[in-house]
Amino acid sequence: MVTDDIRALSEALAADPSSTVFLQLGEALRRQGQVELAYRVATRGLERHSQRFEVHDLVARIAVDRGDFARARTEWETVLLLAPGHSGAQKGLGFLCFQQGELAAASRYLGAALEASPGDQSLSAALDTVRAAIADEQRAPWERPTAALPATVGALESPARPFAAQPADARTLFAEVLGDAPQAALLIDADGYVMAGDYVTADGHDLGADLGAQLSGVSDEASRAMRHLGLGKWKQIVFESEAASVAMAPCGEGVLLVAAPRTVPLGFVRRLLERSLDRARRWLESGT
Amino acid sequence: MNSPFTQTLSALIRHRGVTGCMVVGESDGIIVDSSLQIGVNGSAVAALTASLYRKAQRASTAAGFGMTGFFELVAEGGRVCAAGRNEMVLVIVAGAKVNVGIIRMEMLKALESFP
Repeated sequence: MVTDDIRALSEALAADPSSTVFLQLGEALRRQGQVELAYRVATRGLERHSQRFEVHDLVARIAVDRGDFARARTEWETVLLLAPGHSGAQKGLGFLCFQQGELAAASRYLGAALEASPGDQSLSAALDTVRAAIADEQRAPWERPTAALPATVGALESPARPFAAQPADARTLFAEVLGDAPQAALLIDADGYVMAGDYVTADGHDLGADLGAQLSGVSDEASRAMRHLGLGKWKQIVFESEAASVAMAPCGEGVLLVAAPRTVPLGFVRRLLERSLDRARRWLESGT
Repeated sequence: MNSPFTQTLSALIRHRGVTGCMVVGESDGIIVDSSLQIGVNGSAVAALTASLYRKAQRASTAAGFGMTGFFELVAEGGRVCAAGRNEMVLVIVAGAKVNVGIIRMEMLKALESFP
């Protein structure tokens, strides 16, 4: 969605404040990374249209982008009251429950969402991860895979981390590819949610959700540009900023991104991206 | 008529695989100066690349990475590179096989001469 579209939607909303055009406007702003503005538009719309499940769904997705997971949960629970079986709400609640360690609830929500959308690869991969985590929980501690330990230890040492890390391999999926260097890889689904990987700052905060939400919009813009320029599908985007080099590529229905400090040579960042892509594809296809 | 960018663009278009280069307004995507081979739709490339560059710029800033310097998009049929300074973006359209390392260096060097 481009700025012109946002302008047109804003004008339409101004002309008729009681219309539901705010749904499109809020979504467009969210995708463009203007999360606070999107939140204001959506919550204002919610005041007028509190009985519409789409509005609660929009507020929930924006709340996730803002890191307000409690609000997101409340809104998605409301969606399920208004529209029982809504697959987007079940998917969102599944991810939230998983991140908060409620594995049984996560499995229930994701299973129901997968029944509604059987072709959604991100859901089947997420459900596999949750089931693996449940199986791990049922084993004795000394029988659990050691690969999950570093993330768990990191979480215990860092009280600022929003969630306790799960004994599953989604967050540590790229650990082997990235090694100990301060690099990060994130697999993001088509809705901008993090499916695997994490981005933990030096003070222990996991900014993966923020980063995913902000940067997934770039891939939407790239797809749009490619349609007009006739250069075929985009394969890779690389950009250098003041603090980091970022490389991203389409993966499944979403996007994979790798970030590394500027001191890491750009060619190496691209190599990391390719290796992370191989890892993510294997995980999406076989769950291993 | 020569612009302050003519010399820079003339040098860049001579690189093997480069089919077009232009200086574009970052905020409006309008071409300030360009050197294009026949068949390259300069206006479309300019508008879309500026938009993409702005998007990356916003996302990068919001993610806490700071302002974007060099940007590259690789597609099946070629690649588009961009680098910005002072509200202007230097854009290059090239084939898939171009030596992007040289292009990047030349673009970053060229940016230093931007007014």
